[in-house]
Amino acid sequence: MKALAGAVAGLVSAGFGVAVAEVLAAATRPAAGPLVAVGGAVIDATPTAVKEFAVRELGTSDKPVLLGVIGLVVAALAATAGIAGRRRRVVAVGGPALLGLMGAGAALSRPAAEAYDVVPSLVGAALAGLALWWLLRSRAGSPDVQVDRRSFLRAAALVAGGAVAASAGAVVVRRSAGGARARARASVSLPAAADTGPAVDAGLLTANKDFYRVDTALTVPRIDLDSWSLRVHGMVDRELRVSFEDLLDMPLIERPVTMTCVSNEIGGPYMGTAKWLGVPLAPLLRSLGIKPGAEQLVARSVEGMTIGTPVETLLDGRDAMLAVGMNGEPLPLEHGFPVRMLTPGVYGYAGSCKWLDSLELTTFDRFDPYWVERGWAAEAPVKTGSRVDRPKPFTRLEAGVVTVAGVAWAQRRGIKTVEVRIDDGPWAPAELLPVPSVDTWVQWRYSWRAGAGPHSIAVRATDRTGAVQTQDRATPFPSGATGWHTISVTVA
Amino acid sequence: MRATKLTALTAAALFSISLAACGSDSSDGDSGSAAAPTTMATSAAPASSAPADMMTTFGAGCSAVPTDASNPGSFQAMAQVPVATAASGNPLLSTLVTAVKKAGLVDSLNSADGITVFAPTNDAFGKIPKADLDKVLADKKTLTSILTYHVVPGKLAPEALAGAHKTLQGDELTVSGSGEDFKVNGAASVICGNVQTANATVYIIDSVLMPKS
Repeated sequence: MKALAGAVAGLVSAGFGVAVAEVLAAATRPAAGPLVAVGGAVIDATPTAVKEFAVRELGTSDKPVLLGVIGLVVAALAATAGIAGRRRRVVAVGGPALLGLMGAGAALSRPAAEAYDVVPSLVGAALAGLALWWLLRSRAGSPDVQVDRRSFLRAAALVAGGAVAASAGAVVVRRSAGGARARARASVSLPAAADTGPAVDAGLLTANKDFYRVDTALTVPRIDLDSWSLRVHGMVDRELRVSFEDLLDMPLIERPVTMTCVSNEIGGPYMGTAKWLGVPLAPLLRSLGIKPGAEQLVARSVEGMTIGTPVETLLDGRDAMLAVGMNGEPLPLEHGFPVRMLTPGVYGYAGSCKWLDSLELTTFDRFDPYWVERGWAAEAPVKTGSRVDRPKPFTRLEAGVVTVAGVAWAQRRGIKTVEVRIDDGPWAPAELLPVPSVDTWVQWRYSWRAGAGPHSIAVRATDRTGAVQTQDRATPFPSGATGWHTISVTVA
Repeated sequence: MRATKLTALTAAALFSISLAACGSDSSDGDSGSAAAPTTMATSAAPASSAPADMMTTFGAGCSAVPTDASNPGSFQAMAQVPVATAASGNPLLSTLVTAVKKAGLVDSLNSADGITVFAPTNDAFGKIPKADLDKVLADKKTLTSILTYHVVPGKLAPEALAGAHKTLQGDELTVSGSGEDFKVNGAASVICGNVQTANATVYIIDSVLMPKS
């Protein structure tokens, strides 16, 4: 038997095994799917030595790449098992078995794993092993090479067909499960806020579908509202466990708040403003009796993310909340349905955990949350910043009056002034549009009488404490980027 | 033998199917509410599209790019950050990065919506006599003109690369060749092409391009 045929046998049988494991997982426990489980394990084991890379890890396009790479590694191992298995049948069984154990081990390593999460990987591996054994045998016997080849191709096509069917099954199961999940969310009707806060101009808000998303979840958690509850424990006199309905029965507040991601580059897109509806956190925590010495609130998500926020920050009068609504609808699944934390004035990684599972009051010494463990700052107030949104960089403009516009932000402190500088000219004040509170960005605009030639446009903001946004350029790691956003345009 | 090859292809396709089945979960949330702009690009066919992009990177010069994904200069790392930040992680492009900083173009390149950058390597800048290079680096206007001549609006895929393209500087540049073998203005060779960053497609070239005007 040729090596190529061996490789094909290895590939189709492994494809079959993986597809079976995925359809089983899709029907029972999505987190137990071998590809997602291994991906999650790899993300958790990513070395912390290269701190800059952690910034890049925050982005979300790394996940498809990671899953693709895992697929390629599996394919390479499977082909090798097929080639080696031609001579030594023990390899034909051992290869898939090894892959199955890897998948099972990864599934067990996941937070909230159950013992039965090993089942999809092990069943998939067993079937892959059987299929490979059978394919290699199908080509062992006949002295007539043509007959031999045809019987192998028939067998390979059969296994391949099985893999396609199982893959299709996995897609269908996931779709229908997604539909059921959407219904669960659609069935939620949010009560009105007892305290609606300041009125907001719609132009200030970011639509939910356009709101940035940065997290490490390989699959968006699906949470069954009926079995979900939130536990508050640790350094409190009285532990609390509340259901989603319990939370909705509490007096809710609604506030416009601008969220900012720490990995946002100067001028970057990872920020947005929404009207958030939720249970105010400070009175809830106080009602449980916060023990002296409790410094840090650690929020845990259902998929194992941990986010730590100073207790002092949460109690200083800001509208930190357990958010259930975003721009008038239940939280979108990607943004933490059913309940997320929201801490105005703190970067998301340090105050706004999605898909909440529990809140624990503890100390800073006792626990390093996920990103702190990877070198990011433990306390992360949003730095004063500003951005030119119009015109776009490198635009060719007509000479005459050009409206330069953008946003500026200094959540909790508020923006006092925004200034624009053309080339090396003087800083000139921009016009600020009204804002509902200090927790949202400010829209600004500036009328520029543009003359011919290449020009640069820079912007800087001053917060209401009088502090001017720093010119010093810093990377997002470890506590947020700084520097004046400066873009180039050409005027004809 | 042809039939066997076909089977091999089928097997390869199967892998992408099972991967897509798995990856699609990240986008099948609420109908109509795909994630933010940054993640939307990946929601159509999450798992299968990204590695395909990686594999379509071509050219002998690509072997000089770090392969360890945790290295900021690797293709995987570069794909996740905007182009100027991506280049600053890559040791092959440090002279270009210095020039971009001197011209004050870092933010413009990072916040441009979809561009193609022809990125000369350090060796390409090394071909310019040091006195001349220092003079250009000190002259912001000339430097800006040269650098923006290396940028074309829109992300050009390899199939769309050949032909004349108007640059951000205003003059045209001409790419000749096909497949994995391209020259810019007849002189600069693409030594590593189709490198993806968050907002730009990059073609690494072995000579610096000069605008006519």
